[in-house]
Parts: sequence; structure tokens; C-alpha cells
Amino acid sequence: MSFLDTKPGVPLLESDDLVRHYEVNRGFGKPSAMVKALDGVSFTLESQKTLAVVGESGCGKSTLGRQLTLIEKPTSGALKLNGNAVGNLSDKEAKQFRRTVQMIFQNPYGSLNPRKKVGQILAEPVLLNMDNLGRKEREERVHATMAKVGLRPEFYQRYPHMFSGGQRQRIAIARALILEPKVIVADEPVSALDVSVQAQVLNLMMDLQEEMNVAYVFISHDLSVVRHIADDVMVMYLGRVAEKGPTDEIFAKPLHPYTRALLASAPKIDPTQRVKAEPLTGELPSPINPPSGCAFHKRCPFATEECAKVRPELRNFEGREVACHRVEEIA
Amino acid sequence: MALLEVKNLTVEFGSEDKPFRAVDSVSYSVDRGEVLGIVGESGSGKSVSSLAVMGLIDFPGRVSADALTFDGQDLITMPAKRRREITGKDIAMIFQDPMSALNPCFTVEAQIMEALKVHEGGNKKQRRERTLDLLNQVGIPDPKSRMTAYPHQLSGGMSQRIVIAMAIACNPRLLIADEPTTALDVTIQAQIIDLLLKLQEDSDMGLILITHDLALVSEAANRIQVMYAGQLFESGPADSIFAAPRHPYTQALLEALPERSEGHDRLRTIPGVVPGQYDRPQGCLLAPRCRYANEHCVKSRPEVTDFNGRDVRCFYPLNDQGQPTGLTADTTTGETV
Repeated sequence: MSFLDTKPGVPLLESDDLVRHYEVNRGFGKPSAMVKALDGVSFTLESQKTLAVVGESGCGKSTLGRQLTLIEKPTSGALKLNGNAVGNLSDKEAKQFRRTVQMIFQNPYGSLNPRKKVGQILAEPVLLNMDNLGRKEREERVHATMAKVGLRPEFYQRYPHMFSGGQRQRIAIARALILEPKVIVADEPVSALDVSVQAQVLNLMMDLQEEMNVAYVFISHDLSVVRHIADDVMVMYLGRVAEKGPTDEIFAKPLHPYTRALLASAPKIDPTQRVKAEPLTGELPSPINPPSGCAFHKRCPFATEECAKVRPELRNFEGREVACHRVEEIA
Repeated sequence: MALLEVKNLTVEFGSEDKPFRAVDSVSYSVDRGEVLGIVGESGSGKSVSSLAVMGLIDFPGRVSADALTFDGQDLITMPAKRRREITGKDIAMIFQDPMSALNPCFTVEAQIMEALKVHEGGNKKQRRERTLDLLNQVGIPDPKSRMTAYPHQLSGGMSQRIVIAMAIACNPRLLIADEPTTALDVTIQAQIIDLLLKLQEDSDMGLILITHDLALVSEAANRIQVMYAGQLFESGPADSIFAAPRHPYTQALLEALPERSEGHDRLRTIPGVVPGQYDRPQGCLLAPRCRYANEHCVKSRPEVTDFNGRDVRCFYPLNDQGQPTGLTADTTTGETV
């Protein structure tokens, strides 16, 4: 048995009501508080697909990434790989799981060890996870992966500081790919890069997806990037899912008021695509003390008394999942 | 007469005999009530050029210009004391990262009042009233209690509002906003840009908006200039520059945007990276990355010329169809570098 075997009809990665709370100290003599960074998030990811997670900073999208890669353990809820729960894995199994689910971090300036050469950085995951390989095979594997992501062989002996941001992100992508994972969680992989370099990295990620059959969980705040790369989009607000559905549909007709505001706020180059909407007032509330009812109601133009009292659950509407009481009227 | 007139501004760092030109003969002007957008990738010299206008380039940096005049007064030759009176009052700046632009040790009130004290004088009561006005003006909820808050108690959007309040405290005639929304989320970005444009319209200020976000400038600015590796590559009116780019770099930048592509097609990329201090090409700075470059481009550097009413630094500016003009049969033989 292995939870690594794919089964037909079972999604590759499934998250069921994932919750992550952090306890924070509020100073001497005061009771500690709970930050509900992630408050019940469910989704499924099919193999070779891209699920984008979008939202403003503080909405819990990076926390979600950390739960998916088992960097942290969720407070409650279940994470399933190929239908098998990964809640109580033995150390050995957890290691196998991590081989299957890899991560690309946001800032390529911080995620590469400055004291190690590119060759060493890339060899490390192989060394730890594929102990049956000899030194020579390991080096071959590193070179093959470098070629795949467009790094020249002579870079093997270089240090991270000798590279530009785009090249570093390629190294980070190579590191995530070298174990041939099934899922890559990419946390804002292009937000630190310039437009011209961003396009190079996005193309590379799409090429690699076709070539190596990986699925991406693509965490981003940039809607135009998401629209380009993702099959499905999940919009998060304050630790919960606001709307979830196929990319084209969400961009063509956003249902949740927050999704609408998000799309309307993003500047557009093409004058014909501009929508003049009132910008959202206010800011993201604190996750320590979230508003009652719908977390968005204080900024929402459609909010009623019900919204302030009852928290809306995700429900199906026009083939999408939306957490809004008034979606029928708004749509 | 334009409010700010910059002619051939050059900023150099490093040794005298082998200087590194962070900004290379950039010229522009800003009028009252006008929004000028400066776009470029990192390393294009957009921040350094505005710091030079503010007089914030320290030794060993060297600033030189054929003309740098504000409202008819020469900023370069005027005494340092007079320039200090202008900087911060008539020309004000909003910095990129609001979290680090504010001093963590002082309250919001103290920081805004400091600028007022230096430039406007008056007594403490008047200054405090003015500060309260300003906080109201930039849309801070419950300004009275925020006056005594420290920067760490404020969110990013709030901090940026405070920085804006500080910049407009002395009713500047020119406001330079250096990436004012890069550190903020999209919904907050929309609020801040709306606020800036409203302030600009109300007081007929000149506004220089520096950003790397092409979509943002195209919405906010009247005129746009595109910079690359310290040089001005193209400038023109906002509504036409992105509709019909004349410079191959502008064209390539637009094509690299995900929103310009259809479906899941691959994006058209610009190969390579922006040249740094040590790898600047001898000819046109874009030559190694440009899809139209030929031998002529590799050998010699183009100057800024007028092409159909647009300033373009290219030997072969693009026509309406996006094809280079002026390429003759024998110059194309050495194509694709």
C-alpha cells in the first residue's frame, strides 16, 4: 500500500475543512488571543491542474500553503492525498508525502542558502530523499533538472548571490521539481519579479506542468497572473473561502461582492475593460477579532442585517461555490 | 512655463574615470495639474532620477543637468538653504515603503507637525489643528485618536495615508510619489490612488507617479514615460502610448503582460535581464534583448528623436502595425543578435 498510488476518480489533493489557529500573547496579565488564520477551507485539486488561491495579505493564503506542505500541522480538519488522510503519518510516511508535495517560496532572495552552491542546493533534496542514488547519479539528476528549467551547466558551481531574481526563482523551481513531485505549492512565485522576467517564469511553470504532469496550488494576489495560469480559482477572505470556481467563469462574472471588488480594483491597461466602481472602503479586519456574521459585511455594499448576524456558508450557485447570503439577488 | 523642467539630467556613482550612470540624460517636464507617470523595471533609474530632483542624492553620487528648474528657479545653482525651503514645501515626496518611511519612535502627530514647524511656523495649537485637518483630508477614520498612535499601531494602508498627509502638509505644488502603492493590496491601492488623484485635482498640483505597474499608470497618468537602464526610451500621452507603442521595449513589455494574452498561450517574453553596472552593452542598451536589433543597434547608441509626436530612443521606431520603420534591406542582414 502506499498513499502515493493514484486512484481513478479520487482527487490528487483534497482538503476538508482545514483550520489553523495561532495563539498570540497580548502582553503580561492579559489573556492570550486566537488568530484564526485559516478557518475551515475545503478544496480539491485534480492532477495536472492549477488551483489559484487569491486574496489580500492576511487572508490566510500563505498559511494554507504551509498546511498543505506539512510545514505546520493544521489545528483541525483533514488533508488527503489520493484519498488517504495524511493527518497521522509516521515520520517515514511524512517524508514520502513531502516528496510528493513540494513548495516554491515567495522571495527567491531569502529562500536560497547563500553559503551553498547551486549544485549543493539542488542535490540536497535528492541526498535526503533518494538515498539509493550514488554521487554520480545524483549529479546527473541535478544537471538534468537544471537543463529542464533553463539553467546553464556552468551555474552548478555558482552561489545564489551571483544570480538575478528570475534566475534564482528558476533555481527554486528546480529544487522543488527535482524529486518529481505530484503537487507544487507555489507561494507568490512571481511577485518579486519584474514584468519581463515574470513572463519567463510563468511560461516555464506552464511548460513544466505539461512535461512533468504536476499540479500547482498557485498562491497569488495578482489577478491577471491568476487568470492566465489557473484552471480554478479560490478567493479567500479572512481565513475563509468567499468564492470558488472555474477561472473563466469567475473572471467573466464574479458573484461574491468581494470578488467583484477585487476585480474592479485591479487597474487595467485596456481602457475598454475598465469598470468604474466605487473602491472598497475600509481595510481587512483583524483575524484576532473578526466581525460577526459575514466577515466582509462591514465593507460590503450589499450587506443587510442578516449578514451582520449569520455567517454565510459556502453553497452551490450556478456551478460555483459562493459564501454569500444575497448571491441570488446580486447575481 | 512648466512647473518642473528637467533637461539632460544625469546621475553618476562610482569613480570619476569609470562612472556608473544610474540616470543617463533624462529630460522631462511637469505642468500644474498634470500627472506624469514614469514606468520601468527595477534598475531603470526611475527612483534615482526623482531623488535627484528632490536633492536627496548624497556624496559620492553626482548629479548634473543642463537645466533643473522649478517654477523658473534653478535648483542646481541656488544656495542650499533656499533649496531646503523649497524641498518638502513646494516639492514633496511620498516614499515607497510606508512602514519604513515613518519614524517608529514618534507619534503620527509629532511627525506631521515637524514638517509644519519647519516650513509653516505658527504655534503648536495651529499646527495641531492643521494636522487634524490633514488626517481628515486623507480619509483616516477617527483622526483624533490616531494622532497619538505610533506607526506600528497602523496598517500599511493607514501608514501610507499618514505619509501622504505629511507630504501634502505644506500644500506642495509638485508631488513625487515613488511606488506609493507597491507595498499595498489591490483594494487599498485603489483607495490610495483615488485619494492622490483627488488631492492633485483639488489643488491643481503637478504629480509624478513612479511605478512598475503599467496598468496603474495607464489609468492614472496624463503622460507616461518609459525608462530602461537609466535612459528614457519613450514618452507620450497615456491614452496612445500603450495603444500604439513606438519603442520595441514598450511593445515587448506590453506583450509580456498576462492580461494581454489569450487563454493558456505562452507569454511572449523579453529574453535576458536588465543590464546592471558591469554588463551595459556598448550600443543601444536594449540591443541584446530586442527582437529587431541589428548590427547598427549593437554598435551605436540611438538618441531620443521625435517620431509622430512621440519621443522615442530607437533607430527603428515602430509604426501603427507594430513593425519597425526605416529598416532597409542591407541593414536587416545582420539581424537577430
